[in-house]
Amino acid sequence: MKMRNKMLSLLLIAALVFVAACSNNGGTKGGSTSGGAESIYFLNFKPEIAEVYEQIAKDYEAETGVKVKVVTAAAGTYETRLKSEIAKSEPPTIFQINGPIGYNAWKDYTLDLKDTKLYSYLSDKSLAVTEGDGVYGIPYVVEGYGIIYNNAIMEKYFALPNKATNVSSMEEVNNFDTLKAVVEDMQANAETLGIKGVFASTSLSAGEQWRWQTHLANLPLFYEFNDAEGYESTVLAGLDANEIQFTYGNNFKNIFDLYINNSTVKPTLLGSKSVADSMAEFALGQAAMVQNGNWAWNEIANVGGNVVNQEDIKFLPIYTGVAGEEKQGLAIGTENYLAINNKVSEAKQQASIAFLEWLFSSDKGKAYVTNDLGFIAPFNTFTEDEKPADPLAAEVLNWMNKDTIAIAWTFAAFPSEDFKNDFGDALLEYAQGTKTWDEVKTIVVESWKKEKAK
Amino acid sequence: MQKMIKKYFALFALPTLLAFIVAFVVPFVLGIYLSFTEFTTVTDAKWIGLSNYVKAFQDQDFVNALWFTAKFTIVSVISINVLAFLLALLLTQKVLGRNVFRTVFFMPNLIGGIVLGYIWQLMINGVLYQFEVTLTSSAKYGFWGLVILMNWQLIGYMMVIYIAGIQNVPKEQLEAAKIDGASNGIILRKIILPLVMPSITICLFLTISNSFKLFDQNLALTAGAPSKQTAMLALDIFNTFYSKAGFEGGGQAKAVMFFVMVALIVVVQLGITRRREIES
Amino acid sequence: MLGDSQKSRPLLFLLLLVLAIAFLLPIFIVFMNSFKGKFFISDEPFVFPGGDTFVGLENYTSGIQKIGFFSAFGMSLFITVFSVAAIVFFTSMTGWYLTRVKTKWSSALFFMFVFSMVVPFQMVMFTMTQTANVVGLDNPVGLLVIYLGFGSGLSVFLFSGFVKSVPLEIEEAVMIDGGSPIDMFFKVILPILKPIAITVAILNVMWVWNDYLLPYLVIGTEYQTIPIAVQYLKGGYGSIDMGAMMAMLVLAIIPIVLFYLFCQKYIIEGVVAGAVKG
Repeated sequence: MKMRNKMLSLLLIAALVFVAACSNNGGTKGGSTSGGAESIYFLNFKPEIAEVYEQIAKDYEAETGVKVKVVTAAAGTYETRLKSEIAKSEPPTIFQINGPIGYNAWKDYTLDLKDTKLYSYLSDKSLAVTEGDGVYGIPYVVEGYGIIYNNAIMEKYFALPNKATNVSSMEEVNNFDTLKAVVEDMQANAETLGIKGVFASTSLSAGEQWRWQTHLANLPLFYEFNDAEGYESTVLAGLDANEIQFTYGNNFKNIFDLYINNSTVKPTLLGSKSVADSMAEFALGQAAMVQNGNWAWNEIANVGGNVVNQEDIKFLPIYTGVAGEEKQGLAIGTENYLAINNKVSEAKQQASIAFLEWLFSSDKGKAYVTNDLGFIAPFNTFTEDEKPADPLAAEVLNWMNKDTIAIAWTFAAFPSEDFKNDFGDALLEYAQGTKTWDEVKTIVVESWKKEKAK
Repeated sequence: MQKMIKKYFALFALPTLLAFIVAFVVPFVLGIYLSFTEFTTVTDAKWIGLSNYVKAFQDQDFVNALWFTAKFTIVSVISINVLAFLLALLLTQKVLGRNVFRTVFFMPNLIGGIVLGYIWQLMINGVLYQFEVTLTSSAKYGFWGLVILMNWQLIGYMMVIYIAGIQNVPKEQLEAAKIDGASNGIILRKIILPLVMPSITICLFLTISNSFKLFDQNLALTAGAPSKQTAMLALDIFNTFYSKAGFEGGGQAKAVMFFVMVALIVVVQLGITRRREIES
Repeated sequence: MLGDSQKSRPLLFLLLLVLAIAFLLPIFIVFMNSFKGKFFISDEPFVFPGGDTFVGLENYTSGIQKIGFFSAFGMSLFITVFSVAAIVFFTSMTGWYLTRVKTKWSSALFFMFVFSMVVPFQMVMFTMTQTANVVGLDNPVGLLVIYLGFGSGLSVFLFSGFVKSVPLEIEEAVMIDGGSPIDMFFKVILPILKPIAITVAILNVMWVWNDYLLPYLVIGTEYQTIPIAVQYLKGGYGSIDMGAMMAMLVLAIIPIVLFYLFCQKYIIEGVVAGAVKG
């Protein structure tokens, strides 16, 4: 008996020493953060503004004492990350879903937000993700994308004495044929214009393909679902489609070919290019155009040696040669909806909602949203002059007021990340010349079918 | 005495055993079980028999990864061992700065796989750029890129083991052979090779298992591009688990098969070692 | 060839010199590129920095800030030091115990440890992460326990192999002097185990320090080790910053090279001993 006691005490001592050694030397990092309402956990979707969120979290903690843990998933890994995080002992309290598809995957975890102030702030209630009476996802940013161009270079081109087109202002560029003529003539005169190519490189390295497999892919599928009868929106039509025809695939090819063949680099080298490379080429004046959205403003502005004047940065819709596209506007929408985890404690849920309400309604929070995050927020708490002032956001607002038809963000209906990645991989191989366009089309159609069947 | 020590089980063996159970035994048993079920979290598993295994073999990515891994393992095991053995022969001769050379050749082995992958991504893309292609242009660039990377990492390690083996060859035996007028080739084949057989076995084992289980380097260098053509088994399993929902069962079945393959390789290796030990 | 160890050979020396330079070249290229602007790296990695392309230490400062290099370094150091210490401390005891106590249980246990060496990480990757979440080991201290468990196979095996060569008489002498098994192990056996302990420590340091997937899955969202931080640079910020990447690669290599240069003798011997016995 005596032996047993001795043995036990020794074991205890050993265990204690072990733990003590770890926690002393590991500093405060050892051990997980405590439960209770004093800490909430925000799983951020947007890597490019992760630092701003961390700043906001610090400020919020200083003001209210509530600790906000911000974790950012790497580009293209949000779903993976959410999946592994939600199983942890300290799961995210605020996460983001990408629309109805995301809601379907996460509906066991989303809290009904119908009675929150946050929902009441929403200017257009129909934007929220709902099911029955419940409100499960609240959009927090409206964004737009298109072809960003440097007007200074365009003016230079229009002034060329030997230009082969008779286009003399960007107003006249309102369809694919005109765009193509201008772009190809500019490429021929690249040297005179002082550029390396018209379009910045079409980044196709792994994790850098989203501009093509999501945003550009949106256009042909928007038109395809727009043709479907009896749906309120292209997203709903897309969600219902178990198969696609990729009817407008050749329109995608039109613009994609234009991008890769009139660019700063050869198509075979695109597999090593990143979005940052692409934005830098634009910022350094090596390219006249680049496809991206208003969120890219910081990336352009922060490139050292940036030569592009703020007032020269403009948006052009992505024309692909669809009949009647003269009336087409930018692609405007939202893919990010805030959701609250209903599996965490009531106190944490409330603390999470309070944080979001603070962010989107207090003066300090709103200043962060407008100036640092650069969001066009869809809430009625923001007044007219609380809109972001950067040129790209201003252009998006500008286009929203024009008499054009905005392209809805139909990619919310894309079946999965894998579909996008299959699309992107096929595009890379197409650009490198190892796949034909017909093969790409087949892959897109097959992948949709395969992912829908899952 | 044994009885006396035995009473101290709780001190001497229990801590390790507890950690071992949590980190290995439970996950292992659970892993085998889950490979026969459909599940997203461990608690909601539904028994579905062998269909995960059937699905895994119908998965073209898995079959591709298997072939890619097999080819890669064969090529890198041969190249690494031949080159490491040659280097070991050179470095057991009297030459200026012998120890410095050993130090240099061994060093890459200490650098982690992720870091190695990015180092070589820069190097290989830099060279290919001159020919207007990149690592992702074709699976063959990724393949040879991985082979070069693996060689760079493991040659020094294997060399050190071979050197230890060669140094065990008795000097007198070599001198005697020399006096008898044996040529270098004969000395190598008849005296050195048989005596360094243990080193060869070890090196083969280490290179095979390292190449077959490669993950970090694969992830950092190509991440499977283009179109998953350069994804090896470990990466394919990882992708099955973590890049899409609803395939955990299939991923676990792949993982079990991966384990069986690794185990088979080890058993075959051990069998050969034992036979060799009996012979000598 | 082997017999000619009398004279040194300039040609051989030259050949080895060329090879050594080729071996060091990749590291040098990365080092060189770490001083270049981020847009001049992937297109022309073999061009020296200069003029426009030279940015001084900018990549280092931005990279360190971006990935929080020092906290990643601290985390790597903490995990490596304590998990290796735990492995050496606990598995040496277990190795000794299982060798000295011969019952069918201890043999079965020993067999399980050896068996675990054969199992690749992917086999238990998912279930281990889930288990760790459930029992609350998904934090840096818990990670130490996981490393102890997953690393115990090889380490117990190596210790146990070494203990077999330690004569029983030593332990019997302690017994006769009235020492308890605790005295016996810590005062007598542990010092004898020193050489194999160094081997075990070095093999585990090389494993834990460079490990990516295990810490990534268990604690990766909240805490970053150096490999996780480096991998996160790719894609973690919307788009890769090649300049910061190069600088972080250099910073990731430096501690290893220093460790290697200081403990070179032990490392090479340890690796050989580990390989031969393993």
